[in-house]
Amino acid sequence: MKKRFVFRFSPDTVKKPLMSYLVREFNIDVNIWNADISYGREGKLVVELEGDENSIEKGLAYARSIGVNCSPSIKELQFNREKCINCGSCTSVCFYGALQINQESWELNYDPEQCVVCGLCIKACPLQLFSISREEE
Amino acid sequence: MKTIEQINEKIRNGSAVVFTAEEVSRMAETMTPAEIAEEVDVVTTGTFGPMCSSGAFINFGHYNPPIRMEEISLNDVPIFAGVAAVDAYIGATSESAFDETYGGAHIIEALIAGKDVKLKARAKGTDCYPTKEVQTVINKNTVNEFYLFNPRNAYQNYSVAVNSQKHSIYTYMGSLMPHMENATYSTSGELSPLLNDPELRTIGIGTRIFLGGTQGFVSWYGTQFNTQKPKNKYGIPTSNAATLAVIGNAKEMSTEYIRAAYFEKYGVSIFIGIGIPIPVLDEDVAKAVSIRNCQIETSVVDYGLEDKPVIGIVNYGELRSGTIRVQGKEIKTGSLSSLEKARKIAEELKKWIKNGEFLLSQPVEMMPKNSSVKGLEQRS
Repeated sequence: MKKRFVFRFSPDTVKKPLMSYLVREFNIDVNIWNADISYGREGKLVVELEGDENSIEKGLAYARSIGVNCSPSIKELQFNREKCINCGSCTSVCFYGALQINQESWELNYDPEQCVVCGLCIKACPLQLFSISREEE
Repeated sequence: MKTIEQINEKIRNGSAVVFTAEEVSRMAETMTPAEIAEEVDVVTTGTFGPMCSSGAFINFGHYNPPIRMEEISLNDVPIFAGVAAVDAYIGATSESAFDETYGGAHIIEALIAGKDVKLKARAKGTDCYPTKEVQTVINKNTVNEFYLFNPRNAYQNYSVAVNSQKHSIYTYMGSLMPHMENATYSTSGELSPLLNDPELRTIGIGTRIFLGGTQGFVSWYGTQFNTQKPKNKYGIPTSNAATLAVIGNAKEMSTEYIRAAYFEKYGVSIFIGIGIPIPVLDEDVAKAVSIRNCQIETSVVDYGLEDKPVIGIVNYGELRSGTIRVQGKEIKTGSLSSLEKARKIAEELKKWIKNGEFLLSQPVEMMPKNSSVKGLEQRS
């Protein structure tokens, strides 16, 4: 199982080495996608957790037990596929391979799994077909 | 040797052999120009890219009592009112007073789609046109004429854009990342109309074309028409050269082939779909339509520097592969024009010709042979 979560830390919980604990104790692979966090103040981590479902549930339960708020990240790229003209402008700014033009059909492929929600495609699309969904609070 | 009339006769009796420019480029890998000239009658081309120099004339019909419209807006987008009482020109790049992402292109697209648009017009009032203000709603069925008249479309080749600066820049060539991290280009390569007839032997004033999903015409040479650009060994100009002015009935067009656009921090533009048939009159034309992406080169221009220097030459085979190499650096590429749509246009035009619905036309006049582009000087 691979899923994205948002971890919110209070000024106290930010002091706890949560990520390394998840890796060591629950055998979860942690990929940090976005971090706005520093010692002594509130902070936020967007992470992708990979491991078996049970381990991830236990890891999340542990995080909550020490006071870290965690919720599934639903902040993702919204793409209005229907109106896409398959120009390819967005692909020139997508450095993660989420947006690619099919070399045969020249149609745009969007792979949400690869998307890091950097948002560069929002400005690059001349038809304004991309937006970012709001994150679950 | 064939004549356009002979080809039209074949179109009428359903025996014309028609291929797209991409299909002919593949055929040319094993066939000689002489064989292609013998076998193929018409080659269809296509392009679907942002073409800012576009717009539409519209005639609203007379109000009662009449008004000599002097200031006009459609959905709050100012449009050009300096032509007679109820004629106007909707410039594609004109922007709304309230929303810079919405403009003339969106009005044109909305009207083509059959939607209602809010019209506001003001005038000083005259003896023969006493009304001073009108506010109403129009659509393509309530107006008299509504036709695209685009001063500069279908550029013959266009430069690739990169940005060497430390910060991103936002241009009509899209978002250009710092340190040349990406490159954008905007031509359909071997499918592009004017790259398949580099000397404009068959395309001229009066040529019947596919425009926005219906039949239109080349009305004139396009603005900034340039025959002086350097050419490569295949006779292809290696940057923006010839252009076309085109005209067609927007009431018959489709939003499949005309789409409004907004380029971040640049402004409104419009995607125009154009397809041009090329009659394969002889071996020379056959050779020209056989051009392949790897033979079509274009200049790489640094938009990050004020004088926009050319910093490299690449071909469309490289551009389409997803990366180009410039000054030793591998750069990710992305297209601004849609090859998928360009293919649809070339296929649609092929179908029209095969079905006998579209006849080729002999140009009334050929394009200028010697034309260069002037800049604007400060004078007093």
